[in-house]
Amino acid sequence: MREILRMNNVSVHFPVKGGLPFLKRGVIQAVSDVSLTIAHGETYGIVGESGCGKTTLANAMIGMVKPTSGEVLFAGKDLLRLPKEEFKKARQKMQMIFQDPFSSLNPRFNVYQIVSEPMFIRGEDDQEAMIARVVELLELVGLSSEDLYRYPSDFSGGQRQRLGIARAISLNPSFLVCDEPVSALDVSIHAQILNLLVMIQEQMKLTYVFISHNLADVKNICDRMAVMYLGKVMESGSSDRIFKRPLHPYTQALLAAVLDTTFDEKREQIILQGDIPSPIDPPLGCRFWQRCPQAMEGCKTIPPEHLEVEDDHVVACHLVHGFPAVELPDGYDRPVESLKK
Amino acid sequence: MEPILKLRNLKVVFPTNFGLIRAVESVDLDIGDRECVALVGESGCGKSVTSQSVMRLIESPPAVTRVDAIEFAGRDIKDYGPKQMQEIRGKEMSMIFQDAMTSLNPVMTVGNQIDEMYRRHQGDSKKAARQKTVRALELIGLPEPTARANSFPHELSGGMRQRVLLAMAFACMPKLIIADEPTTALDVTIQAQVLKTLRGMQRGCGTSLLLVTHDLSVVASIADTVYVMYSGKIVEKAPVKDLFTAPQHPYTVGLMAAVPRLTDEKRKFTQIPGAVPHPARKPSGCYFHPRCDYATAECKKEMPPLVKSGADREVRCFHPLTAGGRQ
Repeated sequence: MREILRMNNVSVHFPVKGGLPFLKRGVIQAVSDVSLTIAHGETYGIVGESGCGKTTLANAMIGMVKPTSGEVLFAGKDLLRLPKEEFKKARQKMQMIFQDPFSSLNPRFNVYQIVSEPMFIRGEDDQEAMIARVVELLELVGLSSEDLYRYPSDFSGGQRQRLGIARAISLNPSFLVCDEPVSALDVSIHAQILNLLVMIQEQMKLTYVFISHNLADVKNICDRMAVMYLGKVMESGSSDRIFKRPLHPYTQALLAAVLDTTFDEKREQIILQGDIPSPIDPPLGCRFWQRCPQAMEGCKTIPPEHLEVEDDHVVACHLVHGFPAVELPDGYDRPVESLKK
Repeated sequence: MEPILKLRNLKVVFPTNFGLIRAVESVDLDIGDRECVALVGESGCGKSVTSQSVMRLIESPPAVTRVDAIEFAGRDIKDYGPKQMQEIRGKEMSMIFQDAMTSLNPVMTVGNQIDEMYRRHQGDSKKAARQKTVRALELIGLPEPTARANSFPHELSGGMRQRVLLAMAFACMPKLIIADEPTTALDVTIQAQVLKTLRGMQRGCGTSLLLVTHDLSVVASIADTVYVMYSGKIVEKAPVKDLFTAPQHPYTVGLMAAVPRLTDEKRKFTQIPGAVPHPARKPSGCYFHPRCDYATAECKKEMPPLVKSGADREVRCFHPLTAGGRQ
């Protein structure tokens, strides 16, 4: 496995200022202590509910937010310690596709300006070469040269997302972050864009980071994945293995919550109680214990470790590994009473 | 079974600078007593306009609405004035919107907002209304209902806000509830909670439900009868099980295939070619023919009628799919 990106113990915290001078100031722990590696040419999925930190994590990958601690290595180089010029160069190789095709395109730019902007910023000045390149890109994503001087408002959601893709690949990147690329689109367009992304990946040998809350998409498109909850990775590794044998109770609940359109078999429904707690004061131990149907007393205070259960399948859960053998509080393995209904 | 709502030949048109936008074209809709009917379609197909027309919420002008009948609970409400409609809205027919944050008043506590329902429609005193509100919130499964009634919408999470809307919609035990994309803005685990509550409340209170959504999996989990809309027209109507096991309209088939499932094989996404036509520039004949694999010369010329195609089923297609294959 040739790795393209590695994150070592990355945390991203955002300070929250109190409204009044004596009000408590807090810190939002958007991402805490995440380590992962992404290999060349694979599609890496990040799944989780809103507010779990998946977008912040992706932004940290490409240097859009500065991690509070930890390091991000892209092609062996520490992104955060690169000099400005070199960072800019490395950044050309990493691009992003955004969720909302309506707000991510400048409404006053025409198609040519939108798609050629990255080249322009890089210092390209040959107008004709740029037009030729834009036409080539447009044809690749399924638009035509006639669209060159039209404006984003003339296009439908799916076509705009195609424009966003053309813009992202205009500098021949090797690493592309897709932040919920299809969730704002209609069902029938959904598959078109996913097929386009797969086609481009094969043609350009790209590495994708695919952020989504839709497990069915992730299962079908990703080679490896990470399940996030409240800023932490709960389970990660090969997506085949995770879908075949989900071990973390949160992954199991997420999978069970996916509604199915088949009537053949009645699947077991796990309905989680409550909401995601605030990332300002996350629980001490396992971040999931308040909603976990199988939480034990020890889960409240002892954070679980990330341990490999099988090849390329890492889980952070006391249920799977058992508690570490150090100073356990009394009754650590009792189920949490308040969660029983 | 006498239907609670009978909508006949609804047409809604928006005149614009770019031409007429025919949002809804001749839609008939029947909702039975205690039935959950789903209206499915992509954005711009007219499903929200249809549901809002039932509640007479579409402003005219700009819209021009023509309808033969909106029979609700035995009377025709199509010519009711604003005063009469106010008596019906909230009391006998109520609505749940997609975005709970924008449909709740941000400067009123949620309790006061629900109290209003009882005070307006049942003439309760402040105190009696609050008691009923707390009971409604409890019923809907909100933890600490007494304290929560005094919170403002921004203090609640997305799932809790949606529950408050449910409590408000069910407050006066209406005969019909219209839910417009009730779970689209929610996370999957919260969606599962809210859908379970919605279904439970609907059964418990004996209400009928009109569910407007684009999400087929939500339809599969709670609807009884499904209407599929495309470009302002109903293209297929069927009981939910029949629709999912044997869809007849090529659009329904495509829509179902386009939804990725957990049971699918890797890296294969079935797609419907093209895009939904612009509402001011609809194609000739069957609106779906440019995207349809089975289109013939006939489909390009003429709009197929909605015909009966089985028990409780209707389909608008010259070449519907049958269980044994193509006709």
